[in-house]
Amino acid sequence: MSRRLIVVLLVMLVLVGAMGLKTVVTAHSDGSVLIAGNGGGGPVPPSPMNGGGGPVPPSPSPVPPTPWK
Amino acid sequence: MLGPFTYCTWLACSVLEAGVVVCAVKRGAFRRYLPLNLWMILELLSGVFRFYVLYSFGLQSSEYYYFYYYSEALTTIGLYFALSSLYAHVLEELKAKAYVRTGAFLLLLGTAVFSYLIVRQSADRMTTLFVVELSQNLYFVGLVLTYLLWGAILKLRETRTRLIQFVLSLGVLFSLFAANYAMRNLYPNLQWLWGSLPQLFDCFLPLAWCYTFLKIPEEARLMPARLAVAPR
Repeated sequence: MSRRLIVVLLVMLVLVGAMGLKTVVTAHSDGSVLIAGNGGGGPVPPSPMNGGGGPVPPSPSPVPPTPWK
Repeated sequence: MLGPFTYCTWLACSVLEAGVVVCAVKRGAFRRYLPLNLWMILELLSGVFRFYVLYSFGLQSSEYYYFYYYSEALTTIGLYFALSSLYAHVLEELKAKAYVRTGAFLLLLGTAVFSYLIVRQSADRMTTLFVVELSQNLYFVGLVLTYLLWGAILKLRETRTRLIQFVLSLGVLFSLFAANYAMRNLYPNLQWLWGSLPQLFDCFLPLAWCYTFLKIPEEARLMPARLAVAPR
């Protein structure tokens, strides 16, 4: 039981450490995305994180009027 | 943006990724390091399909945009599991395989929940933002895990050279990307340089792993603890 609790504690510590590090690193960034490697190569498209660049998927079709009105 | 340099590094990276799998099969280490090899195959397939999508739809197309970021998330999850398998190798004498598996699952779940909490306000593009946020958060988790693994290797006096080589090359890769990111924010005027370097960095890991499989036998041993503490 105690070993399982240690695993949970370690997981939480790693998560907190990693997210803290991310907050520090990306606090002054230009909004570009930091990713591990380039997942097989190829040119990087515009980052979707800074609100621009990427295309927006089509919005869902309009909702039809309810039949009971 | 799409020049001979991009195509050359892309091709070299794909050839090296295929080379890692071929070298592992040749040395009879494919099954022993199965997650690492599966991750390399995933990277290779991702690169090939990316090229197909880029060639068919173009760089500015939404098809390439979505395919790039979704495949990136998949390969990052693959990298995460490859890293977890290295933990299992290092801690196998402690018979902690079940705990490593539980810990890896919990950490992935926690990272996914954290990523969701960050992007849940953006209802219109939530899936895409979630995928990108998850990739980025897994990068930082991977970075911390790699350094912790190196600490564990030193502490447990791990001597298997192949394993040490795998972990060190992963650490160098993470550090190179972090350094490039920092330099890009420090010197934004040199965008052309910081944009080109990651394509070179991509070739480093498969090259290092090819070398490891080819030149370092499974029985080779090293004492990394001696590197950390210099006796006087």
